[in-house]
Amino acid sequence: MRPRGKAEGRPWLRALEVLRNCPSVIVHAVLLMSQRGRHQESKTKLEISPSETMKAEEENYKEEDKEPKSEDWRPPSVFGAADLKNRAVGLYNIGQTCCLNSLLQVFFMNIHFTKILRRISVPVCGTQKKNNVPYQMLLLLEEMQRGKQKAVSPRELAICLLAHRVTMFVQYDAAQLFLTLWNLLKKQMKNPELVEKLSDLYTIGVQEHLACQICSSETKRNSSMLTLPVPLLDSGFYMLKTLEECLQCFFHPEELTGHNMCFCEHCGKKTPFRQCVKLVHLPQTLTIHLKRFCFGRSAYIHKISSCLPFPQDLDFNEVLTEQQCQAYDSEKAAWQYELFAVVAHSGSTSCGHYCAYIRSLTECKWYCFNDSLVEQVSWDDVKSTYGHSDLSWGQTAYLLFYMKKHPQ
Amino acid sequence: MAQWQEVQQLPPTHLERVHQLYTNAALPMTVRQSLADWIEDQDWQQAAEPFSSHARMLFHSLLTLLGEQLGSLGPGDEDFMLKHNLRKARIDLQAAFEEHPENFANLVANLLQEERCILRRAQAKGQVEAPPAPSTAPQSSQEREIQQRLAEFRTALQEAERAFRHMEDLQDTFDFSYKMYYLPGQDHSHDPQYAQHVQALQAKLQSLDRQRREVVAQIQQLLGRSETLRDFLQQELSAWRERQQRSCLGAPTDTCLLQLQGWFTALGEGLFQLLQLLRAVGELRQKVTYEQDPLQSELPLLEKRLQEQLTCLLQSAFVVEQQPCMPNTPKRPLVLRTANKFCTRARLLVRLHDRNHRMEANIHIDRDPPKTRGFRKFNILTSSSKTVLVGDSPREGLVCDFQYLTLKEQKGGGSGKGSRGSNEGPLAVTEELHLITFTLAYAYCGLELKLETSTLPFVIISNNNQLSSAWASVLWFNMLSPNPKDQQFFSTPPPAPWPRLAEVLSWQFQSIAERGLSREHLQMLAEKLFGSKPSPESALPWTKFSKDGAAGFSFWAWLDGILALLHDHLKQLWKDGLILGFVSRKQEKKLLKVKRSGTFLIRFSESMLGGVTCTWVEHPESGPPAFRAVVPYTAAELASLALPDIIRDYQLLAEENIPENPLLFLYPDTARDEAFGPYYSQRHEGILTKKKEYLNQRLIRVSSRQPLSPVCCGCATHMSRGATVGSPGQCPGVIGHCAPLPAVSSPPMAPRCSAVSWGERRVVTSPSSTEPRPSNNEGTRWEREGAMWRDDVTQRSVMSR
Repeated sequence: MRPRGKAEGRPWLRALEVLRNCPSVIVHAVLLMSQRGRHQESKTKLEISPSETMKAEEENYKEEDKEPKSEDWRPPSVFGAADLKNRAVGLYNIGQTCCLNSLLQVFFMNIHFTKILRRISVPVCGTQKKNNVPYQMLLLLEEMQRGKQKAVSPRELAICLLAHRVTMFVQYDAAQLFLTLWNLLKKQMKNPELVEKLSDLYTIGVQEHLACQICSSETKRNSSMLTLPVPLLDSGFYMLKTLEECLQCFFHPEELTGHNMCFCEHCGKKTPFRQCVKLVHLPQTLTIHLKRFCFGRSAYIHKISSCLPFPQDLDFNEVLTEQQCQAYDSEKAAWQYELFAVVAHSGSTSCGHYCAYIRSLTECKWYCFNDSLVEQVSWDDVKSTYGHSDLSWGQTAYLLFYMKKHPQ
Repeated sequence: MAQWQEVQQLPPTHLERVHQLYTNAALPMTVRQSLADWIEDQDWQQAAEPFSSHARMLFHSLLTLLGEQLGSLGPGDEDFMLKHNLRKARIDLQAAFEEHPENFANLVANLLQEERCILRRAQAKGQVEAPPAPSTAPQSSQEREIQQRLAEFRTALQEAERAFRHMEDLQDTFDFSYKMYYLPGQDHSHDPQYAQHVQALQAKLQSLDRQRREVVAQIQQLLGRSETLRDFLQQELSAWRERQQRSCLGAPTDTCLLQLQGWFTALGEGLFQLLQLLRAVGELRQKVTYEQDPLQSELPLLEKRLQEQLTCLLQSAFVVEQQPCMPNTPKRPLVLRTANKFCTRARLLVRLHDRNHRMEANIHIDRDPPKTRGFRKFNILTSSSKTVLVGDSPREGLVCDFQYLTLKEQKGGGSGKGSRGSNEGPLAVTEELHLITFTLAYAYCGLELKLETSTLPFVIISNNNQLSSAWASVLWFNMLSPNPKDQQFFSTPPPAPWPRLAEVLSWQFQSIAERGLSREHLQMLAEKLFGSKPSPESALPWTKFSKDGAAGFSFWAWLDGILALLHDHLKQLWKDGLILGFVSRKQEKKLLKVKRSGTFLIRFSESMLGGVTCTWVEHPESGPPAFRAVVPYTAAELASLALPDIIRDYQLLAEENIPENPLLFLYPDTARDEAFGPYYSQRHEGILTKKKEYLNQRLIRVSSRQPLSPVCCGCATHMSRGATVGSPGQCPGVIGHCAPLPAVSSPPMAPRCSAVSWGERRVVTSPSSTEPRPSNNEGTRWEREGAMWRDDVTQRSVMSR
């Protein structure tokens, strides 16, 4: 388990210390992080934390200090020259960071995101600079766009993330890491306007309905999500055929009966409920998480590698019915999406590799980001991430990023 | 081909870009040109990394090579400018990059990349014809894509190998230094030199680590590429399978495997090469490893992914190239007769093998037989295993060819003669589907696999008369089965949608008589089957196709009879479109009504198996037009006299006994001799003056017009026909012959009646250079049987008595 709390928090602090100061060389047991002969050793063996909610992260996180707001403000919706500079540049894998690298690429290739990132205020003092995720991301982005190198190392950012308990050198679940990264970004951007923009860019608004089947009393709750976690199997454990079907399945009402019955305050007892999720709002960048897991009889989780085609163009008005939406027509009119990026996973649940297929928004070409290797590819290559039932180690799409065609 | 060579062959528009690229580049084109191969062979990308010692090394090698180049140029004037340019370039380069050779490496790396970009763009526009592949056939975009991807895959593989070699070098240097300088046991805290060594060692390890990660990333990338490529090949392969299935049904398609074999082999080669590379990387890891070694965690994953891809590729590359077929019925594969020879062939499209390993292929029939009662079991009599022949030419490839196989039914233990009845399953023999499975123990480069492939299901018959219905089953299965291995297909055979069926029927005519069915033909067949115009939803159930039929035979039996007739006797006429063939009576009237008297058409009989007939129109002076048709000719008649000759000599005897040929114009309006002239058999001009013991004889067909005669004329015809054919029952209209005959003027359209009023006979006459015959031949004519068949009413009636 990942360390929690202050007392347990020590190992990672120690790791960080080791990372920064270790002077000796232990060949055959050396962790290489540095470019300039600064080498570190890491003996910390941290395991993957299975389910880490950002709540826990928030509790542990200590607001460091209030920083002066920067006056660096440009009018929105106009991209500066720098914003359009998003050449595809690789990121070195510095030890199982393929997952982080893929996600960073998805962030950096999104000009709507970099537009926000470039406007953050620069922290004043050194430690703040080092521990500020948005700032480190911006530095990395600048380094990528400035240099003529084919790849750069995300080392500083990795150290910064380590300071926020995002351990490196372990296998990550991309969806979870995406959430972690995003929450860190949101928290550390001091400018409320930017935070709002970031939320607008990524969060999905849904309304959860819970209705008692006996007295018909209904409770509604609005909530926002960062990803739409769609199932690949329907309630009868049959494989769904397309992404559209998965989305329909996600928004399909569920009957809570038997063991799943809930307590109804009106009836004063446990009653069958009907639960459903209605779509209220879709953001500029929509993230869909394909739940490619299947729980076998034992605790063993295995990966579903069968084929699931996803379209390049997605119109939510065609996918969802009137009842599944709770939005105005003007909002719904903008629900036309175009595929922007695919984070693909190859391997099994216990070990694997991530790479990202991203369509450059400025050039309109697909690129494949395999750590330090970046290559222009075609839609057919992206299609190869649909999955194959006969290739259990092949690459399969895991996170899909869709971009609104006509930004409001 | 070397990149620079390709660049030079670019069309002008793209070449312009290359010139632009080099105008402002610090590397002069002269240098690029004169050291093209060496430059392309180096890993500039790698050298461009910051703090790479490689960059300096490369830079100095380049300068040295330039010097050598200068020295090798002759003292002559012809190279004067070149020498000047090279010398200048050398000085300039030295001045510009001596301090920072990595900048130079970066420059070259970028230039090479830009060149590749331009090349790709040019290729994408199809403006560069790939010179190494002089294929004349126009390639589809898919084929071009595959070829380009294969080429890209090879290039990327070479790059990965280069990166690997670099990694090997790095590891060697590190390993050496490590053994030399790293002495952990002693106390070196006061030795500044030791600290330096260790620091250098650490730097070396870092660059090694970086290189390892680079190699891993490259292999990941390669595997991603090959997955797409494999998808493409899989698509092509399933398209081929479909083509093969269609061609089994007689469709004219190309089922050549050479191109697919080339692609599969190329990808297989690449993947095996990658496998070797992975193993070599694994060996390097055995020698040096460290914490967070990327190879430690990534290698097993890469290996698994690669092996899986290879396995999938090889499995799908094992295909049945030739479905089981008896040599004597090449147009109807998948129908096998017990005790008859048949052959089948499988091929491994990945043409890679280990010469020291003997590959053996085995065949099994019905390895997993369906659990149906009465399902017959068979043995393959001849050897069921065979060593795979390895031909060197691509045409041969890796082929296991089973040529002389025969099947023998296994008799159920202890069953006597009567047991067959009780053993009878729910399926007819011709609906029982069998499969042959090929297995191949494949081994190459340490990868051992058992490959397997199956033929399409086939039908086993024991008698030739089952051939037709067996073929119907094969048609139905291959037309409709969604699963190519479904042996239980006929337990619930689905109906065939008309458009699909129409296509398959047309292929039958195409393959047997080299001309498919026209829209009109299919229209008629559809009306016959569905009673109306077919809608796209019309579907024909299996029983209606092959079993039930109003006329005592099924639709398929009728059609197959026609196919046999066409194949044996009418191929040429059908091919050339002289036989209208499938025309309903209603349609026939409509067509002929507006034509002049004597216009005729040839169509197939609907009332009997394998019959063809002529219908002509006569316009009497008053009254509606009359349509006449002859009793259909069958294979038996056509065997003795070909249809064109029948048409030429066909005679109708009118009351006045003056023979006339009513067949004047082939529908729509081609004169008879013009249409059929080329098909008439050669006539030997009888030289009458020459003494000969016998004169040649010739057979002609005659019908008599007996509209008003009270005597039944037809009987003689039928009797005679009965005598020749040997089965009077075959002749329609025997019953009812003696019924009062209708008047000619009201054309009898009921099939039986029309046959009655137009009796037909066979007359043997003698040589006959010209018509009418010269009178001096009469004698001969009478000598022959002709006397018996003299076409006159009295004799005929005598005959019939």
